[in-house]
Amino acid sequence: MSRLLGPDRLADAIEPALRSAADGTLVVAVHSAGGLTRFASSRIHQNTHREDVEIRVMAVADECRVGVATTHSLERERVEAASANALSIARVTPRTAAFPGITEPRPLAAELPERFDEATAATSPAERAAAVTLALNEFPSDMEGAGAVETVADEVLVATSTGVRHYGRITRAAVSVMAMSPDSSGYAELIEGKLSDLDAAAIGARAVRKAEAGRNPQPVGPGSYTVILEPAATSTLMQFLAWLGFGAKSLLEERSFMAGKIGQKLMDERITITDDPLAADALGLPFDFEGTPAQPVTLIDRGVATSVVWDRETAKRGGRESTGHGLPAPNPDGPFPLNLRMQPGTDSLDDLIAGCERGLLVTRFHYSNVVHEKEAILTGMTRDGTFLVQDGKILHGVRNLRYTQNAVEALRNVEAIGDTTEISSELFFGGSRAPALRIRDFKFSSTTDH
Amino acid sequence: MTTNGIPSEIKELAERALGVATAAGATYVDARYLSEQSEQIDVQDDRVTGVGRGSTAGSRIEEAARLAVEIARSSRALMKGPVRMAGEPPHEASWSSPCAIDPFTVPLDQKIDLLLAATKAAKQVKELTIAEASIDLWRRTSWLATSDGTRIAQTITHTGAGLRAIAIGGGEVQQRSYPNSFRGGFASAGWEYATAMDLPGNAPAYAEEAVALLSAPECPSGTTTLILTPDQLGLQVHESIGHPIELDRVLGMEAAYAGTSFLKPGDEGSLRYGSDLINITADATLPGALGSFGYDDEGVEAQTIPIIREGIFQEFISSRETAGETGGERSNGTMRASGWDVIPLIRMTNINLEPGTSSLEEMIATTDDGILMSTNQSWSIDDKRVNFQFGCEIAWEIKDGKRGRMLRNPNYAGRTVDFWSSCDALGGPDEWVVWGTPNCGKGQPGQTARVAHGTSPGRFRGVNVGVRG
Repeated sequence: MSRLLGPDRLADAIEPALRSAADGTLVVAVHSAGGLTRFASSRIHQNTHREDVEIRVMAVADECRVGVATTHSLERERVEAASANALSIARVTPRTAAFPGITEPRPLAAELPERFDEATAATSPAERAAAVTLALNEFPSDMEGAGAVETVADEVLVATSTGVRHYGRITRAAVSVMAMSPDSSGYAELIEGKLSDLDAAAIGARAVRKAEAGRNPQPVGPGSYTVILEPAATSTLMQFLAWLGFGAKSLLEERSFMAGKIGQKLMDERITITDDPLAADALGLPFDFEGTPAQPVTLIDRGVATSVVWDRETAKRGGRESTGHGLPAPNPDGPFPLNLRMQPGTDSLDDLIAGCERGLLVTRFHYSNVVHEKEAILTGMTRDGTFLVQDGKILHGVRNLRYTQNAVEALRNVEAIGDTTEISSELFFGGSRAPALRIRDFKFSSTTDH
Repeated sequence: MTTNGIPSEIKELAERALGVATAAGATYVDARYLSEQSEQIDVQDDRVTGVGRGSTAGSRIEEAARLAVEIARSSRALMKGPVRMAGEPPHEASWSSPCAIDPFTVPLDQKIDLLLAATKAAKQVKELTIAEASIDLWRRTSWLATSDGTRIAQTITHTGAGLRAIAIGGGEVQQRSYPNSFRGGFASAGWEYATAMDLPGNAPAYAEEAVALLSAPECPSGTTTLILTPDQLGLQVHESIGHPIELDRVLGMEAAYAGTSFLKPGDEGSLRYGSDLINITADATLPGALGSFGYDDEGVEAQTIPIIREGIFQEFISSRETAGETGGERSNGTMRASGWDVIPLIRMTNINLEPGTSSLEEMIATTDDGILMSTNQSWSIDDKRVNFQFGCEIAWEIKDGKRGRMLRNPNYAGRTVDFWSSCDALGGPDEWVVWGTPNCGKGQPGQTARVAHGTSPGRFRGVNVGVRG
């Protein structure tokens, strides 16, 4: 279904931009093609295929004036127009002393994992519909299903007037299933590089088991609980910590929980968080959108704040080297870790539950947001499977609660870490690979009736 | 009819798409052409941190038409019945939003100078740490052709600009935004809208407030009377009324992702949503508002819909498919797509809280003990749109009918119907402001809609404030 253009076709398309009269040029070409089959009320209701190409040209004039223009066409005239537009912007933009210049060529890591799966890229609408059917076959008659099956192929070419030429291709497949009974819901989601690695029936069955166990939910009051966060809930905490503090811009501006804390122990010594685009089970590219080779960065090392990710501009301001975490220009928000992962522990999810005298098992959070930026206090809701655990066993489903909790403190209060990780999405961000966690004294500020 | 400069070859392509898909067996087809221009300028302190321009449009129309039919067929195994779309007469029309000064013709250096003047004015306040300013321009020219016979050309221009003053110190990050948070004010207008804001003239006052917040006391925790300024009340309308009235959410179409709604079909005309003061209108015809258009992306004419009247819920916002599914005769015209490559979804238009008869001054004067909060900073609400918690940039204590001390880190929490039922005063028409919201997220893949909310100040009794972890 999705045909790649390939490095030569993309290189031909951007070649007019590289011939610009600018002092320097950075071109990022992204070609993306994929299908998304959404279902609700146990029927497919939105079924789409999208294919797009974007060519983003950053032109430099007088060594430190910068302009950016984009086009969604491979046609020579359009690319030339975007290039000319970028240069015309650069020429009237004030000089930026902080501009670090265009990336010089550097080799990528020697051993790069293959991220592209031909079968995933070629997935047809009928194959995605079949995966939906497999998931829904797990449903009892009084439950309805909602969710999505997505298959995407991306290819990226980053080229500069200094000679950088990096090409990467990647596929991604995601299956998410929500099961709804008259008074409960359950959710399961997996994201991997190959559709064949996802068992839609098993994902559907997992969602159904949660909805089944959550029937007749009981109210519990707000307060502090020991919680067992499943990977999707852990992922929410990680993504918000990344947004607030794992990028160099917030460190330099001294506005994050990491500012002034590098080298200090912030979290439990079992917590190690890295950003590793090169890991075998990650979904990242080996270079960033500035053309810098991507490096693994340890952000939290056994509980100690260790580092943040850098792009070229923040690296220049901070006297550092870019770690290869630059986003597409223009980017006033600074670098971001797109391939976050938390190191797993040694306990199974059953172990985490068995070790809990009284607490709540949380499947995932919903609509989280920041209450206090510097202290990393977050608020959000539980949804799709929240359970009371007592004496090491799941007792029953509970009505959803609102948490209002310092995320750094939560990772300081970790009691145990799950032995497996999953990539989970977050409403406002991409995905991260996280284990389940058991955390004491997790604060819930209010409740709901569902 | 005028066709807003749509090239004839585009119209021919759209006709071919209709022909190919119809020949392949489709019973309804629409083809949308979008050409978009955008410009974004960001300034931090004395430096430009980004200037970008973009344009977008799609191609390979015949292949897309055949694929669309194949995709529709692949859905057939999991359909419970045929799709019934509510009727809409075919329209041949053109429509353009108001735009006195084309913002794309204003020289770039003039725009940059305006932003640098604003950040410079803010930085005159010595203790201020960071001053940011931004301009966002957007124009869409579109052509919609449907197998029902509709042919519509539209051109919509949006202009936005704003300032953010950030003070950092003592373990706090405090900010004040003008004229609103999240990149400022937005309208369906031209460059005249940006210059009328007077960013440089307003910058010092907002910078001073940001700095003052660093040493202000924390917003206390408890239950009290809450007065909201119109900007925050716009966010309150957006999250706790705008989203739950979307009929696709009500029917479960967004259940797994953005969530559903506490509302259900049949609540129209009977469910009490708020006090008698609460009158909500979805008005896609409001001149200059960000959620206005001539026709939606299904070719349905823009309408003015009563959503809540004297506190009683009246009507959902709908599409042709959802209106058909619930027995409606006509969609009320809210289907919009954020780009050429995504399908239209039910989106808010201009969801307006009609003004009352009070004023901010009168509300404060008649409040013995309470808190005034302004300008949204964060938002969170559950998947049925009931339990919410919203943070604001700034607050002031109200004691014995007077505005008192400034308070930092204010937030409040509640439940949708309880909150709207506690409203006992709304500001009048002279305090009513339309707030453009260019960042409304929904759907998979994520789409960002441009909507608006008209609001005046409002007072609410017995609200939980100062929620801490």
